[in-house]
Amino acid sequence: MRNSIFRRRGMLFLLLFGLAISFAFAQERTVTGKVTSEEGELPGVNIVIQGTITGAVTDVSGNYSIVVPGPDAVLVFSSIGFTTQSVVVGNQSTINLTMVTDITSLDEIVVTAYATQQKKDITGSVSTIKSEELSAMPQGNVTQQMQGRVAGVTVTQDSRPGQAAKVRIRGFGSFQENSPLYVVDGVPTTDINTINPADVESLTVLKDAGASSIYGSRASNGVIVVTTKKGKPGMSVNYNMYAGTQTPGAGPENLLNTKEFADLQWLVYANDGTVETHPVYGPSSGSPTFPSWAADTKWYEEVTRNAPIQNHDLSLSGGNETSKYYAGFGYFDQEGTVLTSWYKRFSARFNSEFKIKDRVTVGENLNITHRSDNGISANGSENTGLMMGVYRAQPIIPVIWNSGTFTDAMTAHVFENGDWAGTGVAQRLGNGENWVADAVNDQDDRWQDIRFLGNVFVDVKIIEGLNFKTSFGGSLNSWHQTNWTEKQYWNAENATTSTYGENSGYGSDWTWTNTLTYNNQFGDHNILAVAGYEAVKTGIGREVGAQKAGYFSRALTYRTVSNGATLQSGWSNYWTPRSLVSQFLRADYNFLKKYYVSATIRRDGSSVFGADTRYGTFPSVTAAWRISEESFLAGASFISDLKIRAGYGTMGNQLAVATANQFFLYGGAANTTYYDLNGTTNSSLQGFRPTRIGNPDAKWETAVNMNVGFDAVLLDRKFEIILDWYSKQNQDLLFNPELPGTAGNADNPFVNIGEMKNTGIDLQFIYRQIWSDFSFEANASFTTVKNEIIKIAEGYEFFDDGGSRIGGFNRNMVGHSMGEFFGYNVLGLFQDDAAVDAAAIQDGAAPGFFQYEDADGSGTIDPDDRVFMGKPIADFTYGLNLALGYKDFDLTAFFYGSQGNDIFNYNKWWTDFWPSFQGQKSTDLLNNSWTTSNTGASVPKASNTSNFSTNTVSNSYYIEDGSFLRLKNLTIGYTLPNSFLGNVFSSARIYVQGVNLLTMTKYSGLDPELASFNDGFMGVDEGNLPATKQFLFGINLGF
Amino acid sequence: MKKIKFLSVIAIIAGFVLMDACNESFLEITPNGSLDESVLGTSEGVDGLLIGAYSMVDGVCDGFGWQAATSGWVFGSIRGMVANKGTDAGDQPDINPIQTYSETSTNPYLNIKWRSIYEGISRCNNTIIMANITEEAGNITADEATSFIRQARALRGYYHLEAWRMWADKSSNTGIPYVDENTDQALLTNTEDVRDKIIADLTAGTLLPNDMVQVGRFNKTVSQVLLAKAEMQMFGDYAAALILLTDVEANGTNPAGQACSLAPQYGDIFDAEFRNSTESIYTVQYSVNDGSGGNNGGSAEVLNFPYKGGASPGGCCGFFSPTQDFVNSFRTSAGLPLLNGSYNASAEEIRRDQGIPAGGVWKDNNGDSEDKTDEYLVDNIVTMYDPAEPYLDRVYKSLTGTAPPDDPDAPNIGNNPLTSPANWELLWVEDNSLEIDPRLDWSAGRRGIPYWDWGDHTGADWIRDQTYAGPYSPKKQVYKQSQEGTLTEVGNWTSGYTANGYRLIRYSDAILLKAECEAMIPTGDLGLGEVNAIRTRAANAAGFVKEADGVTNAANYVIGTYPSFANQAAALKAIKFERKLELGQEGHRYYDLQRWGDVQSELTRILAYEKTMEWGDNLYGSASIGSEDSNFPVPQRQIDVSNGNLVQNR
Repeated sequence: MRNSIFRRRGMLFLLLFGLAISFAFAQERTVTGKVTSEEGELPGVNIVIQGTITGAVTDVSGNYSIVVPGPDAVLVFSSIGFTTQSVVVGNQSTINLTMVTDITSLDEIVVTAYATQQKKDITGSVSTIKSEELSAMPQGNVTQQMQGRVAGVTVTQDSRPGQAAKVRIRGFGSFQENSPLYVVDGVPTTDINTINPADVESLTVLKDAGASSIYGSRASNGVIVVTTKKGKPGMSVNYNMYAGTQTPGAGPENLLNTKEFADLQWLVYANDGTVETHPVYGPSSGSPTFPSWAADTKWYEEVTRNAPIQNHDLSLSGGNETSKYYAGFGYFDQEGTVLTSWYKRFSARFNSEFKIKDRVTVGENLNITHRSDNGISANGSENTGLMMGVYRAQPIIPVIWNSGTFTDAMTAHVFENGDWAGTGVAQRLGNGENWVADAVNDQDDRWQDIRFLGNVFVDVKIIEGLNFKTSFGGSLNSWHQTNWTEKQYWNAENATTSTYGENSGYGSDWTWTNTLTYNNQFGDHNILAVAGYEAVKTGIGREVGAQKAGYFSRALTYRTVSNGATLQSGWSNYWTPRSLVSQFLRADYNFLKKYYVSATIRRDGSSVFGADTRYGTFPSVTAAWRISEESFLAGASFISDLKIRAGYGTMGNQLAVATANQFFLYGGAANTTYYDLNGTTNSSLQGFRPTRIGNPDAKWETAVNMNVGFDAVLLDRKFEIILDWYSKQNQDLLFNPELPGTAGNADNPFVNIGEMKNTGIDLQFIYRQIWSDFSFEANASFTTVKNEIIKIAEGYEFFDDGGSRIGGFNRNMVGHSMGEFFGYNVLGLFQDDAAVDAAAIQDGAAPGFFQYEDADGSGTIDPDDRVFMGKPIADFTYGLNLALGYKDFDLTAFFYGSQGNDIFNYNKWWTDFWPSFQGQKSTDLLNNSWTTSNTGASVPKASNTSNFSTNTVSNSYYIEDGSFLRLKNLTIGYTLPNSFLGNVFSSARIYVQGVNLLTMTKYSGLDPELASFNDGFMGVDEGNLPATKQFLFGINLGF
Repeated sequence: MKKIKFLSVIAIIAGFVLMDACNESFLEITPNGSLDESVLGTSEGVDGLLIGAYSMVDGVCDGFGWQAATSGWVFGSIRGMVANKGTDAGDQPDINPIQTYSETSTNPYLNIKWRSIYEGISRCNNTIIMANITEEAGNITADEATSFIRQARALRGYYHLEAWRMWADKSSNTGIPYVDENTDQALLTNTEDVRDKIIADLTAGTLLPNDMVQVGRFNKTVSQVLLAKAEMQMFGDYAAALILLTDVEANGTNPAGQACSLAPQYGDIFDAEFRNSTESIYTVQYSVNDGSGGNNGGSAEVLNFPYKGGASPGGCCGFFSPTQDFVNSFRTSAGLPLLNGSYNASAEEIRRDQGIPAGGVWKDNNGDSEDKTDEYLVDNIVTMYDPAEPYLDRVYKSLTGTAPPDDPDAPNIGNNPLTSPANWELLWVEDNSLEIDPRLDWSAGRRGIPYWDWGDHTGADWIRDQTYAGPYSPKKQVYKQSQEGTLTEVGNWTSGYTANGYRLIRYSDAILLKAECEAMIPTGDLGLGEVNAIRTRAANAAGFVKEADGVTNAANYVIGTYPSFANQAAALKAIKFERKLELGQEGHRYYDLQRWGDVQSELTRILAYEKTMEWGDNLYGSASIGSEDSNFPVPQRQIDVSNGNLVQNR
């Protein structure tokens, strides 16, 4: 016994160093054979002696040879795409085998809530993505890999390095928080960006109540169950890498050069009748002149770059009957195409499982990740490289001052060659910043964290079919961030003192799950039942930060908060955690695998609710009928399998609710409640105010969910269709409606007041065909979402969301979908004074300016004339994955599209209107704008007038069709034949890949796929970074 | 074996039951990092709530910015046409309709101002509630409670008065809700006349002592002036106001108990260093570098600085330009203002440098600024000073160009407009020979006039976009160069966060209100003494803006006193005009016009003139002023969320 423990330890030790060992046993002899498939000899089949790590692989002719310890040995034959088979050796010395293709997904084992099931036995709406599909799309994280793979899941990419994509399952259930719940190896988490995609075995998306209500407490936005790789019998070592480059593309093509910009200024003078001496271009009476320092900067080229990306994964996997190990190591390194941005991730995963005495299994999953980045702002911030660096920088501004010594009389800075240039070198260059200067000066800023995520578990088989499992898991992370802001001389608006801040903190959460599982078969009756208890605590943590100004040196080594001269802020947060307890019971029953019924009930308690409303109960029931087993379909030979499913249930939600929601609280901070009663000028006295109005009566929000669908496998298993219709209605929606100003400015409580409904269809269609040398697979997914707000709050019908220089554009209103664009409908441009006189009374109306629709017919254009102009939610999104194999070559192409969504192109506010700050402008404004001789124009007159009829209100001028179809991925791979592999490798594949090669869209902005950090800003393009084209080279090696 | 299995099942079930028993305590989580009510039930706690209520007196806190400024630069000054928005057309576009009298009820400035005011009121009410609870619990004395409550009520009255000026329909005196500690939010209305309640709150404040020890509290004098303003503004009760103001004039002190009087020199009033001088009855106490990130440092006025870093203050953002009409108003004839409005006639206008390039800098090599022969030029536009004509500086443009000298310190002897006139074209004459009231150059920054200690205002390069907003800069809230870093916040995107607290109530404001009462009643000398006292102070030559030598007046300042007021109408005309001159740019103008019923007539006159400016079309377009423009619409958002309780006031 001691010996065997020693041996296990030794094996783990050796495995981790990637060494293969083998053991000699008595009675050993050699078994040989040939493995074939229906199409012929089958190379690359793994053969492992069950319970050991000894194995072999068939050669190019399907032949193998293996030393077995004795007649009791069991050989396990496995190969991707085929059903795994086991053969007892007995006294055979030759074992030939024909592998059976396993090309339907119905036989897959799917990890669902607290259990595993065969996919064909599932009655709810569930989709899975396997590791092979994920790895076909090399990406920094699994959220990005999910795009277009799963019907019912809408994924929006964020092009900043290392950023997770936004994932929405079946629409939007909340005004606040619509992110799904991720459950990694049984541990719920909201941050799956630390998971290395290479370590993921499968993703299971639980979409309806039948599937996910067992996670009832947090399931209403859908659940994604992430299962990481486990060790498998035998031993395998895999190394995968890809490396390549990302290109930012040509950038906006509608921006002016220096000459054109001056021409536009002169056009404005002409249109407005202005006479002045322009501080840059000279007297308006003549032609523009250009100062000696004038440049013709292409800011997009300056701000962006080709950026490398690389990824390396090494995995070690092995085990036997009683112990399994998996270790995965990853390194992901992506530079951003926007200057000085980057992201790095080191990850390590250690999963292991031990079986003790046939009855007890213990195991652990552990992920340790170190992330670091120098991040950049997202879409919707004026400080993105695109907004600040490109749309707001005039072309005349040089990046670097190169015109000799120049004393700026106004800034008092003496410019020397090599200094940064910017809006500060002359007047009227706007107030954008030299983004290149900012990025380079602040390039040492770094955010980093280390995060542990994992669990330990014990599974005890009490009697046959009855297991008790307890799992304790969670995460712990710790982060640190530095933020240097260099003092400036080159801008029109300079920060004249360098500042430096640091912040740091830790956070943790844990989950303890106990389940009792009963799985048995009585004749034709199959039962799977799970009872469980779960306790969760999240949001434990603190953070602290400080910022000072006034640094003697900018040296990196000198950057500490202590070294600053003046304290600007010092703060810390002590978070209020949230706890949850749940009891749940679930039972799946089927008769003859033909008639299925499944029921779930869950009772949850949450600390965010008061004692009287703390608990919620969430039942669901689903049923399925495998109609293809019925005799009346026996003759329908084209149907291989057909199952009809229906489900109804409820799911709970409390994610949006602030943890202190039930309490009335007071607090104070220097910037809200302090006042310098003593008149000292530099030391305000501490004051307080109510900070939160409590609502002890808030209760669980309930999502009522209906799902009807079918799974069909047709035509000799070549076709698969999975179709679901769903309806999800969020009732008692937890929302913190704005209170009247007279109630004060304390945080508003969440109350159960809103109601929202999502309906739609998820459709997945798979076609597979294999000829002798060819294989083909098409996998299409199609998702529709129809979102409708049914109720917001008692007494009011809408609220506006988002924000910009001219207010928010998104209105949430009863009877409409979330975040629809709201504003004045532009009928056209006024052509002359007569048209102005004839039209409804409109402030600022003048020839060349917008004429708005008098929607209410009142004769005056006022706020009542605003209408809904478009919607950010797509009618449908779709993905199409095509895979073609020919002998050792493989080709995959993946398309993703979105149809029927609109974009509010807020960038136009900056570039199409002269008075929207003095930044870069569009060629449309110069060449295609209204003048008395170009009256057919759609772009308003170039004028320094800013009013209701030009650029101060939201209107339909900015609305564009945001539909697109994009070739996300094109890969050509080649699997090296065994003859090349020698003794070292068991498999080897090389591939080249292009990402985002082609986009079809009518959208005039850089990229219709808009990242948005918050659903309140949906569909608004403000400096959105375009998706980068990537060209990658990759290798997959197996040892 | 069977038994073991059975027992383990029992144990697991028992475990589940036990865990359930722990649920209740596990689910009880009290918030971290906050206070609950019980902790505040002490003298310090109630005072902390009161400090929180005071901290809204500047209108801003995290979340409410310049839209809610107590200094009234948008709603009082820009709306009253003593200033325009300034900056460029697209910056803060929500101000554009406010200055063109076309704002709608959805304008965000209105909603933020509303929310800021009622947040202040809400804090007052919480203070009162907690003072009462704490007194009942025996944790503070009745005297302490009374002082807290009187201060909170005075503040509450002040906040409501601000709301009343903004939104009340002056014919029905309805439009704003009154909220006190007993208000049921569900029953709120804005269709009642709430003036008596405001008067009652301010009256409670007059029972406070004058010496509150700390200069940032409200005291008796502050409450008296506010009450007098309320009586005048809401009721036209000049007799009641006169009694209060007479007492203030004689006995008024600031909250620290120091007697108030007119500061000897007009310009000193606006120097950050003298923010709490005798002139100040109540100054909003701004503080900087106090850990608030600039929020307590006049963040509501942070936009209102000339637009250029380095040689001009602030660095951002060029807002709040004085109007040409306001500047012209300072023209004097025989030391008295041109009350008939003739100051806007072309012969009388103050000369503006609209469209003239900014002047370059002559660098003085020998330290004698009179001797121009040793100096060199670093730009091709230069302003030349001629000792023979001190008020006529000439702006020249070089015809030969001025390539940057190889040696920046080398003198450029021989090529200046005095020694080689053929190389220069005369562009413009800075004509400061017109007679003006010296207060102009403390109220507006204009080309060629020293701007605090920042050197001369050099014209177009201090202005963000002359073609949109004209050539003038604000001045009264601006700090001095010598104060940068000590009386300004450091390390921000602008150094315009200052400790130059807004003078909410100046002594001269109270004196002029008293004059107005005397004229309106009418009684006494119809305010002649008060007006002349103000003018006499302004005439103190030590307080004129001086050239760099500290001796020479920067312009031709001529100001005198009125010999008499012929009648009530003449008195009122002079008093109203004196308020414009004395208190211009300080946020009072629109409300003064409102009190006098002059909004439409006076502003229509000014608008017609301003439209003739080079920037008039861009700025005002087709703006016009109607009778409805004497107040602002109730924010639509507040009506929307009021569940039917609030109605539009117009």
